[in-house]
This record gives sequence, C-alpha cells and structure tokens, in this order.
Amino acid sequence: MNVAVMKTKAEQGLAEQFEKVADKLPGSTAVKALRAAAFGKFGALGLPHRRIEEWKYTDLRVGIKDVLPPAVSDQTPVTSGDLIVALGPLAHIDAYRMTFVNGNFRQDLSDWDGATGFEISPFSNALTSDSQSSAIDPSVVTGPDGDATIALNTALMTDGAVVRVPEQASPDKPLLVVFIRAGRTAQLMTVRNVIEAGPRSKSTIIEAHVMLPGAVVDGQTNTLNEITVGEGAEIAHIKIAIDEGKSLHLANSNVALKADATYRGFQYTSGQAIARNQTHVTYLGEGGKLDLSGAFLARGSEHIDTTLVVDHAVPHCESRELFKGVLDDRGRGVFQGKIIVRPDAQKTDGKQMAQVLMLSPDTEFNSKPELEIYADDVVCGHGTTSAQLDDDLLFYCMSRGIPQAEARALLIESFIGEAMDKVEHEALRDALMQYARTWLTNDKS
Amino acid sequence: MAAVKETIDQVKEIDVDQYKYGFETKIESVKAPKGLDESTVRYISAQKNEPQWMLDWRLDAFQRWKAMTEPTWAKVHYPKIDFQDQYYYSAPKSTTGPKSLDDVDPQLLETYKKLGIPLREQEMLAGVQSSRVAVDAVFDSVSVVTTFKDELKKAGVIFCSFSEAVREHPELVKKYLGSVVPQSDNYYAALNAAVFSDGSFVYIPEGVRCPMELSTYFRINEKNTGQFERTLIIADRGAYVSYLEGCTAPMRDEHQLHAAVVELVALDDAEIKYSTVQNWYPGDKNGKGGIYNFVTKRGDCRGHHSKISWTQVETGSAITWKYPSCILRGDYSRGEFYSIAVSNGYQQVDSGTKMIHLGKNSSSRIISKGIAAGHSQNTYRGLVSAHRKATGVRNFTNCDSLLIGDKCGAHTVPYIEAKNSSAHFEHEATTSKISDDTLFYCRQRGLTSEEAVALVVNGFVRDVLQQLPMEFMAETQKLIGISLEGSVG
Repeated sequence: MNVAVMKTKAEQGLAEQFEKVADKLPGSTAVKALRAAAFGKFGALGLPHRRIEEWKYTDLRVGIKDVLPPAVSDQTPVTSGDLIVALGPLAHIDAYRMTFVNGNFRQDLSDWDGATGFEISPFSNALTSDSQSSAIDPSVVTGPDGDATIALNTALMTDGAVVRVPEQASPDKPLLVVFIRAGRTAQLMTVRNVIEAGPRSKSTIIEAHVMLPGAVVDGQTNTLNEITVGEGAEIAHIKIAIDEGKSLHLANSNVALKADATYRGFQYTSGQAIARNQTHVTYLGEGGKLDLSGAFLARGSEHIDTTLVVDHAVPHCESRELFKGVLDDRGRGVFQGKIIVRPDAQKTDGKQMAQVLMLSPDTEFNSKPELEIYADDVVCGHGTTSAQLDDDLLFYCMSRGIPQAEARALLIESFIGEAMDKVEHEALRDALMQYARTWLTNDKS
Repeated sequence: MAAVKETIDQVKEIDVDQYKYGFETKIESVKAPKGLDESTVRYISAQKNEPQWMLDWRLDAFQRWKAMTEPTWAKVHYPKIDFQDQYYYSAPKSTTGPKSLDDVDPQLLETYKKLGIPLREQEMLAGVQSSRVAVDAVFDSVSVVTTFKDELKKAGVIFCSFSEAVREHPELVKKYLGSVVPQSDNYYAALNAAVFSDGSFVYIPEGVRCPMELSTYFRINEKNTGQFERTLIIADRGAYVSYLEGCTAPMRDEHQLHAAVVELVALDDAEIKYSTVQNWYPGDKNGKGGIYNFVTKRGDCRGHHSKISWTQVETGSAITWKYPSCILRGDYSRGEFYSIAVSNGYQQVDSGTKMIHLGKNSSSRIISKGIAAGHSQNTYRGLVSAHRKATGVRNFTNCDSLLIGDKCGAHTVPYIEAKNSSAHFEHEATTSKISDDTLFYCRQRGLTSEEAVALVVNGFVRDVLQQLPMEFMAETQKLIGISLEGSVG
C-alpha cells in the first residue's frame, strides 16, 4: 500500500484502517484484488475537496477529521423491539423486512417469508460465493469513474441487499431494507445494494438508515446502490436517512433505465453532520422516465448535499426532479443538478427544481443547476429558489387565529409536502410527513 | 418570393464566412519585437512616455502573470496559445505625437468610415442632434482619435485615451486603476495589466449627467498582434453615463488574441450603463482563424444606491471568455446584466456574469439569451452570491437557450450561493428549439419559414434588445434576425 501519496490525517488513517481490516473483509481472492485496486485508486484520488468541481461545496478533507474503524462482522445485540423503536413511524408500514446492524446482515431481525415477487439475499453472499452463479459481479459500478467515495465503497464494502424482481412480478408489499446503527462504538459502515427490476415488474423498495436510540451518534456510512430497471418496469425507491447531528453519510445511487422503464425515487435526509446523496441516472433505452424528488432538513451546523447527474443518452426520455430543503440555525444545503442531453437524444423532456426555505439568518444554500445540451429538439428547464418564510403568509395564518409556531409549522409542512406528494405509497408518505413533523417540533427557535 | 430572395441575400452578407468587416487596412505601423518578456513591457511603457509608477505597476503585473497558469475550467477548446509568438504592441506610424483629426492618416479615417464609424464631428452632426455619440477610436494598440472632447470638457466630463489619462490625470488613474480588477485577478487580466497599450478613460464628475453617449470603437488590424486595451470608467456621486463599445477585426487564417480589462466604478447614486456589440472576426465556416476573446469586465457599485448595467450582444470571436460582473458593495445598489450571445460556425462562447451582493438590500437581474447554431457551443456561466451580512438582497436570473440545428450545444452553469436567509434568489433556465406549432402558426399567416424564425428569435431576445441604446438597437435586431435565418434548413 502506497501511503506516501496520502495527504491528510484522515486519508492516512483510512489507509491504516484498510490495511488492518483487509484480511477480515468478506470476499474471495478476486474480491480481495478488487478491493486492493479500489483502495489504490482512492489513494491516488484522495478525499474529495473544494478544488474538485463536483465537490466545490462539500469539502471532505475538511469535513472528515477522524477515521472510524470499519465495522466488520459486527455482532451488537439488537432486539426486534429495539428495531421498532428505531424505525419510528416506518415500523407501522406493512412490508417485507431485511435488516442490517452496523452494516452486517441480521437474519433474526429480517422477515420476508412468503414474499412473492422479490428474490432477496445478502450482498455478502455474492462476495464470498466462489461460483459466479450468483451473477452479481461486485466489480460492476456504473457511476462516475474517478469518484473517491465509490472507490472507498468498493474497497470496504461488507454487506447489503441483493434484490431481484422477476419479470412481470408485482410484489404485494414493499420491501423495507433497514440499516441500523447500534452500540457504543463509532464505526464506519460500508454497504452496497444491488437492485434489479425485471422487465415489466412493479415494485417498491424502502431503504432506511436509522439509529437505535442511545447508540453512538458519530457513525460514518458509505452506501452505494446499483439499480437497474428493466424494459417497461417500474420501481419506487424511497431512501430515508435520519440521524442526530454528528454522523457522516455518503450515499451513491447509480440508476440505469432500460426502454420504457420508470424510476420513482425519493430521498429524505436529515440530521447528519455531513450528508451527500449522489444520484447518477443513465438512460439506456427510449421511453425511460425518471421522477426523482426529495426533502432535506438541516439545523445546527449540519450540511446536506444533493448531487444529481441525469444523463439523457438516448432519445424520447423524460426526467423530473423536485427537491425541497428546510434550513435552520447554521444549517447548510447544497444542490447540484446536472442534466446532460447527448447529441442524439432528441425529444428529451427534462425539468428540474430545487427550492429552499431558510428559517434562520445564518443558514447557507449553494445551488448549481446545470444544463449541458447537445441536441436541438429538446425541452429542458431548471429552476432554483431560496428565500425565508413569507411574512405575509405567516401574517395571514396568524390573523386567522393560528399561533405563530403552529403557523410556521403549517407553512413549512406544506412546503415540503409538495415533494412528499410524489411518494405514491400512502402509509409511507404519512410516515415521511411524520418524520418531518418530529423534526419541526424539535425546533428550538 | 421577393422576401425569400432578399433574405437569402442578407444571409449571404452576414453569414460566418461573409464577415463584412474582414478587410485589412494597409498602413505602416510601429511594432514591438515579437514575444513577451520584461523588455516588451518596458518597450510599451517607453513608447507611451509613461511615468515610473505606471511602469512599476506593469512590471509588478508581469511578475504575477509569470507565476500564473492559464485557466482551463471554461467549456472552450483551443490549441495552446504560444504567448511568445505574438506582437504585443502595434501602432499606426503616423499617429505618434500630438494629434488633431487633420493629422490622422486618411487611410485610418477611411477605415473607420468603412466600418460606419464617423470620426469627423461635422459628419456626425449631420445626424439627429440627440443621437450624437462621442467616439474614442482604438486602432490596434493605440487610440487614434477622440471626438467631441471640447464639448464634453465643458460639462466637466473627462473622456480620453488611457495613455492621455496617465499623463493628464495621474491622480485619478492612480486612485482607481486596478481597484476593481487587480493585477493578479486572473491570468488574462494579469497579462493585460502588464502589456495593455491603450483604451478609454472616462470620469464623470459629481452630479453630472453625461450630455451624450460615449463610445469606443476597437479595431484589430495588424497581423499576429494581440490587442490589450484597458477601459476605466468612474462615475462620481450622482453621475450618469452611457457607454458603448464596438469591435471588429480583419479576416485572417490564424487566431488572434484579445485580452481586455474593463473597470467601472460607480459611487453613491451614480449610474453606469455599459453596452457592447462584440463583432470580432469569428473565423471562417470551417473554424479557421478568428479572435480569441478573453475579457475581464467588472463593475464596482461602490456607493449606496449606485447602479451598473451591462448589456452585451456577442456575435463575433472564435472563442469568447467573458463575464461582465457587478460587485454590489453599496447598500441598495443594483446590478443588471442583459446578454445575447449568438454563435454560429465553430464559435465557442463561454460567457455570463457574476453578481456579488455585499451591500444590504442590493438587487440584481440577469437576463441571458444564448442562441447556438451550426457547430457552435454556447455556455452561460454565472454566479449569484449573497454575503452573510448582505440582508434583504434579491436576484432574478433568467437564462434561456435556443438551439438551431443538431450539431451545436447550449449549456448553463449557474452558481447560486445564499449565505443568509433574507436573500431572495430565483433562477430559471430553459432550453428548447423553436416549437413546430409556433412556426406552423406563423407560416399559416403567410410568413416564410425564415421570416417566422426571425420573428420568433427577435421576440426571444426582446428583453435584452430593449436595453440597448437606440443607435445599436436597430442594427442588432437586424443582425440577429439574419445570422439565424442562415441556419434554418
């Protein structure tokens, strides 16, 4: 391992940690080689910093001070009662469940008996199985080449969910994949999910990153989703990440859409010291549809970054993005959305919107909505707005007898509600709103 | 049918390879030796009889430039520029020494006449009284003549070439030079600071409304010569000035470098309106030749309630790298940016603006219309930022792009940075082609498809055109209609 090229203390720490756990990480010889190569790549890239255009507003060299030991074969005891507490409003959703504690699969907390339409297995199986019969190739990552967080994920990935929805299947219930942080040891969790929606299937997958009350608050998570949506298939993917202000959450979702496929994504993010959701969508066939939305809520000195690249590589595709952010105290929000329309991607229809409410004078919102268009017969638009709560609206509510705090909550709710309405599953939508309400009632102002 | 014929003729006249300002004036000139080192800087300074402080300032800039590297972040691609393979100074021989219009080489006067820029005051007076424009004509590296000086002097307005300002008004130049665009601001600004040859200097005293439009006309004539002019405009308290800038160059096979710096300073309640019609030689239809236009333009709304407005029509240059910006330092100051960038052939445009809100309740508005045709790439790049303490600021940005043909590209790269909650920022951008329905409607009403496109495009850029001074508006409107018509079909 070439430690000499490492620069910051954190980068050096990561190299030391990698050497320490390299032998303990699951995987065959081929996987070990893959990890070593990926870490070599990370070593060359280093942690992303503000001089790298894509990371201009989120500097991990500054943001990551301490390196936490990677969680390998963690056995922190968690009961199903704990799980319900940790899930909060999500616990009431009728869904198949797959649970990971500190990044490691836990059969005892999972339940997908009788699930029709989902083929589920832990990603660690794919890593350790010698035969290639599992057909999951851990070396396949479709995201941007040269991204340090992806390289780090490949180097340290321990587990995750492998979910397949067979052709034309339409599972009766959603699948809830839960990642819980538990115990008193701060650890780095690295997980990878591989999701394949077969042709003309229709399914809903919920990915929740939560913490057990009383667990250590400063964990680190690096997660990567490889999602393929087959011809004519439709998948709803709701990603929830909720924390208590001290953690680091780095997430990548690489989505590939085949002809006439639909990906309906939603990202709810709140409570991380630093969170970055990177979504990279590529259209592989005509008629693909993307409907991606999300809500992010930051207070204290939290920093939440949403970065999207929507790559219209083929004609006749549609993309819609709507993101809503609420910032309080010294909370910082970042939105970077790039729509690329390749030379032959005629008849592309792309729209993007990011809106932020700034509740306190010291909040900061940096936005960079980009269009890169090489085809002439397209309709593309983007918009971004940032402002504080409208005093007139507040006054109107108060003049109707609604107390100020309630009026504020009402207005904020309706603001983020617009994005949440994009979630079709009703109980899930309610649960998300419940999270937002809880966040709002914790409002100290 | 007559209309079609007429249109086709017009298209031929102004299509990329029909650049009508592409003639060359055969005139004897004095040149600095090829290449760039400290002696070049000293040579330029000596040619202009500059005081020591000016030379020191240039040398300081040159030292800084040497330590800098060329920026590569813009979405433009061109072979590496050999900065040693250029002439940095070229002046028509006959214009050295004191000059009145009668001393000016008739060749030069002819050149400007051909360009449609009258330099004789009586010729201008023949026009309507209200549309008089004072002109500073810059030919290669030097200013050849400035018109209406006496009349402006009566109003207290200083309008002269930069070299003259260094000699006659050193206190003003010393005070404001580099105060908006410092020597080390960026690679091209540093280069300009070291080797700038001439340009215009404007000072509008307190409370004066400049009695006429001021204008500078830049002409590159000499081969292999870079043009590096520097413009400094100061509007003192409560003053107002409207300033126009035009530029053209002969057609040549090799690329030529143009790296200008424009600094505007608006004190309390002052207003500066700066309009540019940039029509440097864009290269031929195969992308050969053309001007590399690397320009740093920045306005400083230093005073409260001050206002700076940039309007630009960009149709020329092989490469445009230009971001006229406003630093909104004063409370209640206002910045405006109106831009039309039309690219055709193999042109590459990376242009936009920066609105840096530092003062409370400052506001800004950005309207940018990009039109890409042929094989061109047209990028809008902008920054809107609000400082932590700049409360109550507002910005509205609208950048639209129109694509004509499937070989061109239009890109939008806006940065929006709000560092306090009372900043109210709105940004919207769209990209589209002219809708078939719209065209169909127009054609149904008897317009030909070329006319229909011209009509739609003129409607598309109307917001910006309205900001242009009268003199430029009609011309520009025609220019846009035509250069787009050429692209249809």
